[in-house]
Amino acid sequence: MSKKEEILTQLAEAVVEGDDESAITLTQKAIDDGVDPLTIINEGLTKGIKIVGEYFGNGRYFLPDLLLGAKAMDSGVRILEPLLVGTSRESSGTVVIGTVQGDLHEIGKNIVAMMLKTSGFEVIDLGVDVASSKFVEKVKEIKPDIIGISALLTTTIGRQKEIIEILIEEGLRDTVKVMIGGCPNK
Amino acid sequence: MRFEILSEQEVKQVHEASLEILKRVGIHTASQKFKEILLDNGCKEQGERIVFTDDVIYKGLKTVPATFELYGRNNSYVLEIGKKKAYCQTCVGTPSMIDLDTGEKRDTLTKDLEEYTRLADALEYINIISPVFPRDVPQEIILTVETATLLRNTSKPLSICIESEREMPYIIELLTAVAGSAEALKQKPIATIPISPLSPLEYGYDPAEALIAAVEAGLPLGVEPCPMMGSTGPMTLLGTAVQHNAEILAGVIASQLIKPGSAVTHSSRATFMDMRSGLGLWAMPELGYAGAIMNQLAQYANIPCAPGGYCGASKTTDMQSGYEHLYNALLEGLVGSDIIGSAGSLDNALISCYAMLVIDNELSSVVQRTIKDFEVTEDKLAVNIIAEVIEKKSNFLEHKHTRKHFRAGELWLPPLGDRQTYEKWAVSKEKIEDKARRTAKELIAAHQVIPLSEEINREFDRIIAYARKIEMK
Repeated sequence: MSKKEEILTQLAEAVVEGDDESAITLTQKAIDDGVDPLTIINEGLTKGIKIVGEYFGNGRYFLPDLLLGAKAMDSGVRILEPLLVGTSRESSGTVVIGTVQGDLHEIGKNIVAMMLKTSGFEVIDLGVDVASSKFVEKVKEIKPDIIGISALLTTTIGRQKEIIEILIEEGLRDTVKVMIGGCPNK
Repeated sequence: MRFEILSEQEVKQVHEASLEILKRVGIHTASQKFKEILLDNGCKEQGERIVFTDDVIYKGLKTVPATFELYGRNNSYVLEIGKKKAYCQTCVGTPSMIDLDTGEKRDTLTKDLEEYTRLADALEYINIISPVFPRDVPQEIILTVETATLLRNTSKPLSICIESEREMPYIIELLTAVAGSAEALKQKPIATIPISPLSPLEYGYDPAEALIAAVEAGLPLGVEPCPMMGSTGPMTLLGTAVQHNAEILAGVIASQLIKPGSAVTHSSRATFMDMRSGLGLWAMPELGYAGAIMNQLAQYANIPCAPGGYCGASKTTDMQSGYEHLYNALLEGLVGSDIIGSAGSLDNALISCYAMLVIDNELSSVVQRTIKDFEVTEDKLAVNIIAEVIEKKSNFLEHKHTRKHFRAGELWLPPLGDRQTYEKWAVSKEKIEDKARRTAKELIAAHQVIPLSEEINREFDRIIAYARKIEMK
C-alpha cells in the first residue's frame, strides 16, 4: 500500500469510527503530503461515510454512530472546502430545510439534514422557528431541488400546509419537491 | 406503599445533581416577563442563560403545597392530589384515533373528542380527562373548543395542556361559567393546566408565558417537559433524570415566585430515542422505571407528582399494549404517584384508542387496588374467625365475616377481564380486546353525562363565538 493509500484508508476508518479529531489530523496530513483535495474527499471521507451507511443499513450501526460518522466527515470537509473553490463537486441535489415558526424542535430535522449530507446532497439548514415567508424566500433565492419542513407540535403543523399554499400562490410549487416531517404527520 | 428504586441517599445525590445543573447552566428563556420574575427574585444572568442560587431554590421550593384538591364540575368528584392515589388521566393531544368500527388508524375528529370523553366519563377508574386533538377544528380556537367539548361531555376533573397563553382567557371564561364565579373556580379548581418547556432546559417564549398565565389564573399548574434520552437528554437513565428534574424544578420554583403557595405538579415525561428509527419511545421498561425514579425525586422535594404511564410502543390493543401499560403504571404507582397519565394511548402516545381506554380502566382499577394501604386490624387478622370455624367444624363460606369483607371489596372484581369457567367462556371465546371494543360501544351508546344547564350551554356558545371573532379575523 502506498503512503497515499495508507492515509486515505486511515481517514476512511476515522469516519467509520466517528472520530472527528483523527479525521481533522489525517485530512491535514493528507493535504501536507500533497494528496489532491478532491481525492481526499472521494477516496477518504466519502468512502468512510459509505461504510457507515452500509453498517446502519445492515443493523450493525445505530443513529449515534451515523451522526458521529457524519460529524467526522464534516470536520474533514470543512478543512478541504477552501481548497476546492473553482472545482465542482458532485452533488445529488440541493435541499433547504428548517423547523416552522413557533416550533423550536430540531433533533429530527438535524438527523434528516445529516443523512442527506452524507448521501451527497448540499443542505442549507435554516434552523428553528423559521417564518413561512422565509422558506418561500429561500426557494426563490436558492432554487433548491427539495425543501424540508419540520414541525413537532400539533399546534404548528398547520404551518407546513401554509408554506405549501404560499408556494402554490406564488407559482413556485412545481419548481421544488416538498418534504414534510414530524411526529403529528405520521 | 413502601417501594423504592433508589435508596434515600441515592435520591439525595440525584436531587443535588439537579440543583447543580440549575446553578451551573440554569435555563434559557425567550420571555422577558419570565426572565424578570426569576431575576427579581435573586436568579443571576450568566451570558444568555439564567442561573439559580441556593437562596432562590430554597425560597421557591419551600412554599410548594404538598397536597391540593381537584374537583369535578357540580361537585361530582374530589381528588386528593398529594396523597399518592394514582389517579388515572387520559392521554392529551393525540392527532389520531383507532376507529372503533374499522380498527384502522385515522385523523381524530370533534366527534371523537365528544365520544371518547363520554366514554372516559363512564369508566370508573379513569379519573382525570385530557382532550384528544381533533383535526377538524380551526387551530386558532382549538383549546377553547376542546375545553367546552370536555365540559359538555364529562363532569370529571380536567387537564388542559396549553402550548401558549393566547387562548387562556377563553379557557378561564368557560371554567368560570361552570364553577359559578372566578372565586369559586379558585376555591375548587376543576382543571389542571400543564405546560411543556423544551429539553434541555429551554423555557421558550410560549411555554414560559403560558406558565405565568396558568399560575396567575389560580389553577393548578403542571410542569411537563419531555426530554428524550439519547437526543435531548443524556444516554443514561440517571443523567436524564437529573436534567429532567432540573427542568421541572425550574418551573416549579418560578410558579412559587409568581404566587407562593400555588398548586403545582411535578409531571415527568422522560422518553427514549429508538436508536434505529429515531422515534421517541414511551415504552417499557424505561418509561415506567424513569417515571418511578422521577416520582421519588418529586417526593424528596415534597411536590405532588404526575408522570405519564399508561403507554407503550404497541400500535394496537394486544398483549404488548397490555403488558407495557401495566408495567409502566404499576411501577410508578408502587413508588407513589398522584396522577398517572397517557391512558388510552397507543404508538408512543401518538394515537388514542377507545378499546385501549377500556383496558386501561381495568389496569387502573388493579393499580389503585394494589397501592391501597393495608390496615392491620384484629378483624382482618381474623384469628378468632379461623378458630371459630375450625372448632365448629363449619366453613368460611357461610360465615358473616366472609360476607362482610367480600362486600367491602376484599376480592378484586375485574371490570373487564374474564373469570368464567372454561366452558362458559368457550361459548363465545371472546378475547379481551374484542370485549373492550364491545364495552366501549355499549358505554358510548348508553352512558348519560350530568348535563350542563341551558344557560351555561348558551354561555359556552357565546364564548366560542367571541373567541372565533377575535382569534380568526
